[in-house]
Amino acid sequence: MEYMLLLHVDESGWPKLSKAEQEQGMAAYRAYTEALKQAGVYKSGSQLGPSTTAKTIRLANGKQQVLDGPYADAKEQVGGYYLIEAPDLENALSWAARCPTVGHGVVEIRQLVR
Amino acid sequence: MKYILLDYVNESGWPQLTREEQAHWLGVYRAYMEAMQKAGVLKSSGGLQQTPMATTVRIRNEKTQVLDGPYAEAKEQLGGFHIIEVPDLDAALSWAARSPTALHGVVEVRPMHEGTFLTEGIAKYLKAE
Repeated sequence: MEYMLLLHVDESGWPKLSKAEQEQGMAAYRAYTEALKQAGVYKSGSQLGPSTTAKTIRLANGKQQVLDGPYADAKEQVGGYYLIEAPDLENALSWAARCPTVGHGVVEIRQLVR
Repeated sequence: MKYILLDYVNESGWPQLTREEQAHWLGVYRAYMEAMQKAGVLKSSGGLQQTPMATTVRIRNEKTQVLDGPYAEAKEQLGGFHIIEVPDLDAALSWAARSPTALHGVVEVRPMHEGTFLTEGIAKYLKAE
């Protein structure tokens, strides 16, 4: 089964880190991605551009509206995702628990419809 | 440039549709994805199971918390995504505008970092020496 791990992070935190802390953070994500790949569960993943560069599109009263910013204004924003193939939810949850995001943000696990 | 189109939909709407209406919308989504495939812009896409099936994981005070439900409670929920490769934001927005989700929900368009996850992409966010 395929699961999507949505990484909800507080974007404002990153610029406040020192360069050493940023490098440490990057290394943690790189190690996690490598672990997923080595276990053969990794399908795809990406970091997203900052939510300030997001746009939303909807139809309101028959008119198309394009607005700046992400859909939901929350403390954390979707900053990236991993798509993994895992036998069951428990296994997906154990991978999610190893994601560096759980230390500073929230990882949301959603099963894909197939 | 790669963009992700995030489909925010009102999950409670689907069961309220008649079978004919559901068949109609499935056809509309299929046609949309076929149009993106024919144009050669679609990289991947996926539908997500409904948010009551979602789980969140976080570590606080060195304890792992696993909670049922999605991260954010909102009127619309993330229902799926399309990853497309197009020349610029305008092209991404015009594809988003053709999404059936724009008719009944909200499509969020986000640029994606080039390169592999947190290798090349993030380097530009590192502080200057």
